[in-house]
Amino acid sequence: MDPLLAATGQYLFHIFGLMAVAGALGLVFSRNAIHSIVGFLLSMLAVAGCYLTLSAEFLAVAQLLVYAGGIVVLFLFVVMLVEMTKFKEKGLFQGQTKAAVAVVAAGALAIVGVFWRTWFAPGAAQALTLDAGLGEGLDVAAQNAQAVSRGVFAGYLLPFEILSVILLVALVGAVVLAKTERV
Amino acid sequence: MPSMNAVLFISFLLFSVGVAGVLIRRNVLIILMCVELMLNAANLNLVAFARHSGTVAGQAFALLVMGLAAAEVSIGLALVVALYRKKDTIQVDQINLLKG
Repeated sequence: MDPLLAATGQYLFHIFGLMAVAGALGLVFSRNAIHSIVGFLLSMLAVAGCYLTLSAEFLAVAQLLVYAGGIVVLFLFVVMLVEMTKFKEKGLFQGQTKAAVAVVAAGALAIVGVFWRTWFAPGAAQALTLDAGLGEGLDVAAQNAQAVSRGVFAGYLLPFEILSVILLVALVGAVVLAKTERV
Repeated sequence: MPSMNAVLFISFLLFSVGVAGVLIRRNVLIILMCVELMLNAANLNLVAFARHSGTVAGQAFALLVMGLAAAEVSIGLALVVALYRKKDTIQVDQINLLKG
């Protein structure tokens, strides 16, 4: 697996990345909400593929479970709950669309300029390489799940505990917000 | 192994599409999905930098961001459902009163 991945990883990443961007474009520009969700699903699956080519296998599986398994289904529930056909004829985009597109295009051009200088400027900085070594004994690439678990449960235990409290608050808050008035 | 520049560029494209979607769409559900897209772009960057530095911190934080995104989307969808019950619309330009 590993020599094959090393040989084809670059092209695989490009394919998955372009799939992710295509799904995102489909999400933003489709007229039907269900089609938007399908674009979102494609984008999330492609991002999971990107994680695989970056040899973050545990994150790729977690991405599949959390996004493709959980969040997309949650969105589908709400789309079925809210009657979408009512809003179809009233127009897709907001009034500030032109100004918003101009602002986003200006910001994107600035970042493209940074990329341009990185790639083509005469004194361009040396491109960063992605290496697989790890200083603390575990190999991130070869023992991904062990390395991630050591990172979460040993190195960053406090953020993990705070996240569990946030998830509890979100659980209770979602039930309180979504329940009907009379119980 | 992909180059760092390729990862950063794909992540930049995803983030830009997410920002554009939040700014131009009127449907709350699409806006929530675009926020998820931006979080994923940030996650991709975190994983790439974890790979670059050879430490696991980036992947650990990507995992934490994923959990946070799940919490955010559950609260957001509960708000959408409550809003739809109350005002019978989910178009953001028709939701413009503080008192609801």
